Amino acid sequence: MARLIMFHGRECPHCKKMLPLVEKLEGESPVRFEKLEVWHDEKNADLMRSFREAIAPKCGNQLRVPTFINTETKDATCGEIDYEKLKEWALRQV
Amino acid sequence: MKKRYWRCFVCNDIHYGIAPPELCPTCKVLHAYVEISAEEARKFLGGGPDTTMARGDFRAAIERFTVGNEFEVNPDAAKVDLLLTGVFENEKNHGFKYCPCRLRTKNWEEDLKLVCPCNFIIHETYKGIKDGECWCGLFVRRK
Repeated sequence: MARLIMFHGRECPHCKKMLPLVEKLEGESPVRFEKLEVWHDEKNADLMRSFREAIAPKCGNQLRVPTFINTETKDATCGEIDYEKLKEWALRQV
Repeated sequence: MKKRYWRCFVCNDIHYGIAPPELCPTCKVLHAYVEISAEEARKFLGGGPDTTMARGDFRAAIERFTVGNEFEVNPDAAKVDLLLTGVFENEKNHGFKYCPCRLRTKNWEEDLKLVCPCNFIIHETYKGIKDGECWCGLFVRRK
């Protein structure tokens, strides 16, 4: 199965809003995300930076959180999105 | 063009920019600025009793910043509280009040664009949008 990562920030309100939606999706489907916090864990931050070329064009040319990425295909989406959009994106990856 | 540091020879105001102000905004003296080194500027700015800004003072500063602008601080107090926690955590851990909803690249010049308040006027989440807000949501377009 594809490795899906949710990069998030501990003090990011959009991330806080997305986390329950991600958990709901995981409860209803085979989708699983690694949830990696990037402002308090430099290793996670470096990993997110390593995907910059894939993330930035989808995120206003910046590294923004929350970001969801398929590490194999490099397909990424970011920001606070509704459940159906998240589900559609995630199911496309598995 | 590279930004440099300038000091008013009358009142010691420090300016960082590609050129000095023609008129010193503090003492109102014309052509008062002389170029100085970054190190000298740091010494001027790093001394004295007010070298840090408490969270409440920053909160008040951003409120004043919005006066007369088309945006305001988000009325959602819980959201603002979480964001300010992030901003101050980032200052403590990474040196600047970086936006908690983005990630620094480790490139100095690039990362200065993430310091709160950032230039969110140009962001696609704000520009031309009726209910626009900065990426993190600290500032929202005034209703």
